Amino acid sequence: MGLVTRKKLFSIMALCAMVGLLLLPIVMSLPSPAAGEEAPAADAAKKDGDKVEKGRDVYYKTEGIVVGAPAPKTTDGPKDYPRYNFESRVLLWFANQQHLYYGSFVLAVPIFCMVIEFMGVVTKDKALAKRYDQLAYDFIKISLTAYSLTAILGGILIFTFLTLYPAFFGYLSSIFRPVMHIYALMFVAESGTLYIYYYGWDKMKEGFLKWIHLSMSVILNVIGTLLMFLANSWIGFMMSPAGVDEQGRFLGNIWHVLHTALWNPLNVHRILGNMAFGGGVVAAYAAYKFLAAKTDEDRAHYDWMGYIAMALGVAFLIPLPFAGYWLMREVYAYRQQMGITLMGGLLAWLFIIQATMIGILFLSTNYYLWQAMGRMRGAEKYQRYIKYLVFLLACGFLVFITPHTMVMTPAELKAMGGQQHPVLGNYGVMSAKNGGINVIITTTVLSFVWYMRGNKVSTVSWAKFGNIFMGVFFACAYVNIIWLAIYGYYIPANVRVGLSVPQVATTLSCLFFMFALNSVMMKGAKQMGPIEWGKISARSQYALIMLATAFTWMMGLMGYIRSSVRLFWHVNEIMRDNSPWAYTHTVGFAANMISFNVLFFWISILFVFWLGSLTAKKVPVEAKAGVPGSAPQPAGSH
Amino acid sequence: MGNLINEALSMGWMAMALLVGLLIYFQVSISDPVAKKRATFKTFIGIIAAFLMFVAIANYKNNFYGENRLLPVSLVMITATTFMLALYFTNLGALLKIGGFMFFVAAFLSGYGNWLPQVEGGFPPKEEKLDFSSMTPQQLADEGEKIIFGGIGQNKVQGAIGKGQCPLCHAFHQGMLGERAPNLIGLPERAGKERLEDPKYSKGKPAAREYAQKEAFPGSGTAENGQEYIAESHACPSCYVVAGYGVKGTNDKESPMPAIHKPPISLSLPELAAVDTWLYVREGREAPSYEEIIKSYEKFIPEADRPKQQEEKAAGPASALLADGSEPVDQIFAKAQCVSCHTIPGIPGATGTIGPKLEEGTNAPLRIKDKDYKGSAKSTPEYIMESIVDPSAYVVKPFPDNTMPKVFGQKLSAGALKKIVDYLSQVKAGAPPPKIS
Repeated sequence: MGLVTRKKLFSIMALCAMVGLLLLPIVMSLPSPAAGEEAPAADAAKKDGDKVEKGRDVYYKTEGIVVGAPAPKTTDGPKDYPRYNFESRVLLWFANQQHLYYGSFVLAVPIFCMVIEFMGVVTKDKALAKRYDQLAYDFIKISLTAYSLTAILGGILIFTFLTLYPAFFGYLSSIFRPVMHIYALMFVAESGTLYIYYYGWDKMKEGFLKWIHLSMSVILNVIGTLLMFLANSWIGFMMSPAGVDEQGRFLGNIWHVLHTALWNPLNVHRILGNMAFGGGVVAAYAAYKFLAAKTDEDRAHYDWMGYIAMALGVAFLIPLPFAGYWLMREVYAYRQQMGITLMGGLLAWLFIIQATMIGILFLSTNYYLWQAMGRMRGAEKYQRYIKYLVFLLACGFLVFITPHTMVMTPAELKAMGGQQHPVLGNYGVMSAKNGGINVIITTTVLSFVWYMRGNKVSTVSWAKFGNIFMGVFFACAYVNIIWLAIYGYYIPANVRVGLSVPQVATTLSCLFFMFALNSVMMKGAKQMGPIEWGKISARSQYALIMLATAFTWMMGLMGYIRSSVRLFWHVNEIMRDNSPWAYTHTVGFAANMISFNVLFFWISILFVFWLGSLTAKKVPVEAKAGVPGSAPQPAGSH
Repeated sequence: MGNLINEALSMGWMAMALLVGLLIYFQVSISDPVAKKRATFKTFIGIIAAFLMFVAIANYKNNFYGENRLLPVSLVMITATTFMLALYFTNLGALLKIGGFMFFVAAFLSGYGNWLPQVEGGFPPKEEKLDFSSMTPQQLADEGEKIIFGGIGQNKVQGAIGKGQCPLCHAFHQGMLGERAPNLIGLPERAGKERLEDPKYSKGKPAAREYAQKEAFPGSGTAENGQEYIAESHACPSCYVVAGYGVKGTNDKESPMPAIHKPPISLSLPELAAVDTWLYVREGREAPSYEEIIKSYEKFIPEADRPKQQEEKAAGPASALLADGSEPVDQIFAKAQCVSCHTIPGIPGATGTIGPKLEEGTNAPLRIKDKDYKGSAKSTPEYIMESIVDPSAYVVKPFPDNTMPKVFGQKLSAGALKKIVDYLSQVKAGAPPPKIS
């Protein structure tokens, strides 16, 4: 008894320490803007009398006292742009991308952990609860090695900035001085919390202590998310600066500098993106372990893990386009020219690649689900319909990637006789493309529904009615989406744009109503046979790897697009890039560079996985003995 | 190919040497002949695979910047190599196959990216002072658009306005509202024909004109062609007034438009050339050359009146303020062009009749009490502020809605707005106007 109380006491103290760590940066930063920024400025103002210079915020249009130096006007040379015998921008690109990959992975995994640990705590089935808990532990273990790599890569990134772009980084850090310190402190808090969370896992696995442990994961994620928000504020500032005047002089209001036009859309988009990406990486890990597994037990466990990770990743993939839409809308609202450069100008081809990638992601997801039906007895009845889904997906995909207008040289324009391709230009209208992607998403929903009822037969009294209703609902959804897509050709463009609303609404209602209805129907359903975890084809695991690689590639692509839309500005309209690399690379070069980054990331993370498997090998007997009868334990030396 | 092999060897000789060393070591250390044979074979395969891998990497490296679209072939080669290795190194089989598969996906995507048309963004324009005279017509037109609307591609944006302030009164597209001044669509076509042939224009006979001004300056004469007409109407708006657009009460004898080369707008001749070029280019017409346009303006603007091109920025950014609040209130009214539409007692030149007369000390309290009033103002200053920032909140009858630009909230500083509000709230019907501060 005494022991338990002492444990409780310690765990509560640990929790308090975490909250303290969380608040530490905030408490420390509070006096800094007040005392460090405004107060001296005000004092100086008093002393100098009328020497106070005022500036007008470029975005908020408010007036403020100038407290910073103007953005430096750089010139090409070793002073502002020191370099090796290589393109500095590419080096920075590489360092940045690797840091971002690892960073988003270690931010996403604790969120999964939190969700899965919570599922474990609330699940009534003891064996399943144990499996969830073990899975969550497995996840955090993977992220732990990646965590130190993230920090190392962050260091490399900063050194790359300092050595290759000193003028720019100097300016940025002069503006974000307090924020950068808070960021560093938050990182300390994140590490501390993560270690307590990880090493406290076994000590706090029962009852009340488990809840405390769970709340630690919440704190861990709050810190992680805040960290990301702060980092996002830098890129937000570079794209859509605020809080400075036209010369780039800081006006004393740090909140304006943080809260730029694009900050919030970027935050939301990145959280969702990180989650989808994290799901992809964990799914790839599971696929690797599955393919390397020697026993049926191992295969069963990693098959299950891959499925959960994939489902989580896809769950965040589906809202991602809507967050992207919001971001784009804000970009257009901020500077229309920037939006046009992205979607209809210099970078438009990259969006064609993106459309292809989205198609690939959904195709892989569907393929995995169809393969996964192979491990259920009773799902055979759906197999013969899959070819129709393939047909729908392929049609949707082809329509989705058909462009409307492209950037062209004058010669091409002349040859084509106008801005639009005589055939494709007519077909590639927005409502049709929306129709394409909505058909793809709806089909994915249908695949999921089939998967969920694969080995089950509903026993509710209204089962027949329910099935007919679902069938009719899906049919109507397809008809509505496709009809609107066709109707779009007969109405003017400005009206056509509005069609996306009913189309998306149809898809979303399919998603929510059909999932909800299906789970109600399948409650207490008769099982035709068990789900034979581990009895899935090896091909399905390659679909997971495909998913993960495509996620990584797409993240690199979209990051490149977001960054290069600034064109020749370090900070949009405030600080010009006068280095020899202020131009925008070709699509092909960017694709090669992204491939290189993706492969480097995967080679390094496969190495991390392999390292993890080394520790697991050390104590296989112990781990197996630990939980007899349950799913295999990917043990650690905890 | 020979180059590639050389490079592969120079890059990977250490790894290869290590493998060869391993091969020799196995010969010496393994006694069991079967095991020895297997180890030798596997190491041999390893050497070949490593060699192929380095060839692929050398190819990738060589073509990293090049136009060679075969580059993804390298990645496919690596894929093939890894699958080959996976056959022999079963312990690492899963890793190798996964890696190989990823290389294949990356190769596909790289290949796709290289297959698409290659567009490269050129270097940014030089940051030095803009030299309008050496620009292509398109560049010049872009600068013109910036001057008119504040940015390239902004010409259809509601409320977009640049240093020239033209959209405050003029519309530029079919169907867009331009109640205070003619819609400028089709101007290049119209200028040379309709306008010059209008008997009221009195081409070649300035003395016969019935307008407030007969010539831009004594001896300047009238326009002889379309471009000169445009130049003259910029330099001397009251030399000819399009019917229906004169200052109300002058029977179209006087134009509300300020001379564009004089304060508050003060466009320089090169800037005017840019503006005019945009007018032509956006309609797909060939613009007169820069020199021709400059010449047309020189005809109507005497040397002493020509403003110098501003040093720092030729075309102010979209956010440039019309007035910053340091000016006296009558200048704020003039700079924001309030005077062209409103009659404001006590402000010289404020005799516009497109909008209501601004006697807000008297009017505002009555309007707040009006049953049609839907705004949120509770006092006279609040009402005035609301009318400036959100003109549609309450529209005085019988004036139409959406005539007054909605941009003044952004285009005037807080100080300038305060001065306007202070002044207008003191203006009362029948009382002497307040003093200008």
